[in-house]
Amino acid sequence: MAKLDNIIHQPVRLQIMASLIALDPNEQVDFTYLKKMLKLTDGNLGAHLTKLEEASYVKIEKTFVGRKPKTYIKTTGKGRDAFNEHIQALKKIITSV
Amino acid sequence: MNISKEDAEQSLTLIQKTTKQTVKSLVASYDSSILIVWGTVWLIAFVGTHFFLKWVWLIWISLCFAGSFATFLVFYWKYRTGNPIKNPEAENIGKKLFWFWALLFIYIGIWINIFSPISGLRINAFICTVIMFAWIISGIWSNSNHLIWLGLAVTAVTLIGFYIIPNSYYCLWMASAGSMPIIGTGLYMSYRWR
Repeated sequence: MAKLDNIIHQPVRLQIMASLIALDPNEQVDFTYLKKMLKLTDGNLGAHLTKLEEASYVKIEKTFVGRKPKTYIKTTGKGRDAFNEHIQALKKIITSV
Repeated sequence: MNISKEDAEQSLTLIQKTTKQTVKSLVASYDSSILIVWGTVWLIAFVGTHFFLKWVWLIWISLCFAGSFATFLVFYWKYRTGNPIKNPEAENIGKKLFWFWALLFIYIGIWINIFSPISGLRINAFICTVIMFAWIISGIWSNSNHLIWLGLAVTAVTLIGFYIIPNSYYCLWMASAGSMPIIGTGLYMSYRWR
């Protein structure tokens, strides 16, 4: 039975996961780009990503483009499964009488 | 963990909104610049053709090269500044797209040769509709509705220009009714979707 996920349910983390789920499973999104799109601060996004990373829902990769450091984020299989289960649980609550 | 029905609805709405926004934003980050570049190429080329008809081939070939170079610069700039999205398949997709468009132009040349002699106006309407056909197909492949609608709209504009508008005004018609929606869509995506 689908269950709500405490980690994902927090609104900012819900938005982060929704953004990442919109990508192909192999794709990674740039930290700065995600921050601008979701209108978050560095600290706020970083803190929520750490929570998601601790739960193994996202994978964070630090790299360099030229001389500039870049951080890319992607969902893991576990993260996708958890997110889909969370959506199913939400739908079930809505449809339940 | 228990939440109310209203909270669940709000969460689902937030998910849908964010997913939609992400897709739009990513599409706009590439497509908007390309649409502005090629809309501008069409605008200048059609206006140039109207006023300097004897230079038609030179105008179109030089502007197509300029447009291709500008497209390359857009992608190079994205690469240098760090793409918002990193995809291990990107290089393959890029190669496929390059060969798709290169082959399309080669085939347009072949078809024109097969059907020649045909009038400049007919050649132009033919090229415009083939390119719009390619946009529509690209839109279907990439789930980009804006490309499908834009392709259909510019095809309709081309057909109106070819069948209804007097020949002497065809280029001005295409410059205004054909190029402007392309530039407009690019600008709209750039300001509203990003």
